[in-house]
Amino acid sequence: MLAFVIRRLLTLMPVLVGVTLVIFSLSYISLGDPVRAMMGQRGDPEIIAQIRRDYGLDQPLHVQYARYIGRLLQGDLGRSYRQHRRVTDLMWERLPATLRLAAAAMLIAVVFGCTAGILAAIKPNSWIDRLVMVLALLGISTPVFWSAMMLILLFGSVLRWFPISGYGSGHVWYLILPAVTLGALQTGYIARMTRSSLLDVLRQDYMQTARAKGLRDTIVLCKHGLKNAAIPVVTVIGISFADLLTGAPLTETIFAWPGIGRLMVNAVANRDFPVVMGCTLVFALVYVLANLGVDLLYAYLDPRIRYDQED
Amino acid sequence: MTRFTAIVLSVGVLWMAATGSLWAAEPRYGGTYRFPLSTDPPTLDPAHITDTTSHTVASEIFNGLVQYDDKLNIVPDIAERWDLSPDKRTYTFYLKKGVKFHHGRECTAADFRDTFERVLHPSTRSPRTGFIDRLQGAKAYMQGQAPRVEGITVVDPYTLRLTLEQPFSLFLHLLTYSSNYVIPKDIADQRGRDFTSHPVGTGPFRLVRWQHDDHIVLEANPDYFKGRPYLDRLHYRILPEEVTRLEEFKAGNLEHTDIPSGQFLSVKHDPELAPRLVSYPILGTYAIRFNMEKPPFKDNKALRHALNYAIDRRAISDVILEGRVYPAKGVLPPTMPGYNPDLEGYTYDPDKAKQLLIEASYPGGQHLPPLDLYFNTNDTHQKIAELVQAQLLELGIRIGLRSLDWAAYIKLVDDGGTLLHRMGWIADYPDPENFLTVLHHSRNVGPAGNSARYRNPKVDALLDQADAGEVWEERKRLYQEAERLIVEDAPWIYLYYYSANMLFQPSVRGLQLTGMDAELTIGPQPMALVWLAR
Repeated sequence: MLAFVIRRLLTLMPVLVGVTLVIFSLSYISLGDPVRAMMGQRGDPEIIAQIRRDYGLDQPLHVQYARYIGRLLQGDLGRSYRQHRRVTDLMWERLPATLRLAAAAMLIAVVFGCTAGILAAIKPNSWIDRLVMVLALLGISTPVFWSAMMLILLFGSVLRWFPISGYGSGHVWYLILPAVTLGALQTGYIARMTRSSLLDVLRQDYMQTARAKGLRDTIVLCKHGLKNAAIPVVTVIGISFADLLTGAPLTETIFAWPGIGRLMVNAVANRDFPVVMGCTLVFALVYVLANLGVDLLYAYLDPRIRYDQED
Repeated sequence: MTRFTAIVLSVGVLWMAATGSLWAAEPRYGGTYRFPLSTDPPTLDPAHITDTTSHTVASEIFNGLVQYDDKLNIVPDIAERWDLSPDKRTYTFYLKKGVKFHHGRECTAADFRDTFERVLHPSTRSPRTGFIDRLQGAKAYMQGQAPRVEGITVVDPYTLRLTLEQPFSLFLHLLTYSSNYVIPKDIADQRGRDFTSHPVGTGPFRLVRWQHDDHIVLEANPDYFKGRPYLDRLHYRILPEEVTRLEEFKAGNLEHTDIPSGQFLSVKHDPELAPRLVSYPILGTYAIRFNMEKPPFKDNKALRHALNYAIDRRAISDVILEGRVYPAKGVLPPTMPGYNPDLEGYTYDPDKAKQLLIEASYPGGQHLPPLDLYFNTNDTHQKIAELVQAQLLELGIRIGLRSLDWAAYIKLVDDGGTLLHRMGWIADYPDPENFLTVLHHSRNVGPAGNSARYRNPKVDALLDQADAGEVWEERKRLYQEAERLIVEDAPWIYLYYYSANMLFQPSVRGLQLTGMDAELTIGPQPMALVWLAR
């Protein structure tokens, strides 16, 4: 197992190098200039040229890339062109908000998604099943901006149960609406996956055998059904969590949530390449680690999976 | 400047009537003003400020030598008074005594010298050197050829002398800009590039907390040299989504807000919100600009006139923008000094446009090359572009629409890569030079402001003469003549003049809104004068 983890972590290096290469190339060929964008509507061409020189943006791509990698190896993600602050600081101060929102949305998604999926699977083709599937479809297909606005209008403006927007210095009350908005989408995915996976398992012979042995339905479902149905669900949860961690710019924008998603979107709009690069690297890291976490969970859920035996 | 008085007074009266402050009691101390911002300020280091959001916050933390009053006259700020030498090149500023930075040290003339030199020094990488580089020796200093800026002299701790290379009548306007706010060099050096997040100034408020992308809290500076502000705190909330801002306002969580596009009429007819609505013209003009260097618009005045007559400005202002703007006749907006009410401009006249198309050798729009109208991605720009597209199609002119994000868009425009592009302009300072010279002089072709790439030697000569003039009436005459020639040449399709439309809570008092206070970012508004009646 340890060897597997080390091997997977080592594969991270080429992934990160690949990401830096791709983003650097994209920044080179993309329209727009960070210094010009920073100047506002008009700017003195001489000053633009001078600041570009100062930032090294007048150098060929390979020189800029080599310099960037040199700094990266020293743990320096650079400074934002626009905010003149360290990229690590910009990301670090937004990380708590991102983690809180992702964790809360995930909690909502897992609790409601799994529960709904199980209910639908044990009563297939019933009104519960149909209701769950309709709600799951709604969760998946409703645009985030619409559901966010509806939640704000109903629970923020009319009923005044929750604050409309903001981080509220971390107060849990501010977390509810954005977490529900963001969690609704993932709830839909998890509910559908749980239902279909559990339905497959429930039709297996060993489930019939367990029942024939006289075990109660609840025990059959919990002990044999859920664990075996969990592998595809865990995969969806792992990737969903990575999605949530890498930011949800639209939800963050509507609810004025100070997360990494907004930072990234603003950086792209302003061609603030050090920030774009820093965010992308961290996002790649999150996805690789999330996949690794899912793989490790497989081994726990299914004892037949043994990564060390692959060697 | 009495020329501003009528308009500013009308705005003031409208505001006071709207809020009942005509009958307001004595100002009260205390309270927190919750101020929405659409984006986190990129920086609060004055040397790096290029955007209105940063300027809005910084203007409460810092002061300059001079500032605007409620009639947009230049009045003293930290300077008590100033003299101008007979050759119009040397300004001598006499500073107020006892002005202190937030960390307690007194602000003196040397701080202004250090501030200006910091802006000009290459290591600062300030994008706003152009607001101070008219000082004698500034260029040499910027190029490392001189240890100090020759044109800055600290006569004594309370006397500062600034000498320009050439007389420039708008120099005092440039000094109001945020990059010229005084900072304490000792603190700036100590904090280095992190001064951007930990600013220290002399202003009425000082920074207490900044949670990026969420909120900024400023608290009253009890030692402010003009007296403690009425408010205890300014709480800026970063709310990127306009609908969220409106809902927060309705819930009573903001003292003011802008109005989302498409919701102006519903707000205007809402019995609860309508009395809180404040509308006033601001110094801005929105237009579609031709590329005067490329065919088919190059050397084809009839074609440019045809397009100007083909657009129904009233439809844009009344339908798309719900009556919140004013159809434009020319370059200068009505609240700008030098505005010419007699300028005819272009009316909606499709028949005349068709006739002009024939004169332009493009009858019925035939034989025109493919035309694309570029705009930066934005709902309102999109709707305007679609209406323009439909109206031109009625003449047989087919245009495509191209939307790009700002960074890509401005680069393309700078490079002259468009034939038609939209551009709005809101004044940096209330002088016609900022619209006519900056946006039309041939020396400013390209990124410097003249994106239509318009060149007319007669106009250049008139503008040069007007810019150097000292007597306002003469300058006004020259600017109006230049504007008449420009509008006749039609490098733009003039669409509308901007206005600001905002909602304020009834408890807000003491506002002095001017044509420079754009929506949301009410920049020049001195928050030190605002108080809350509750």
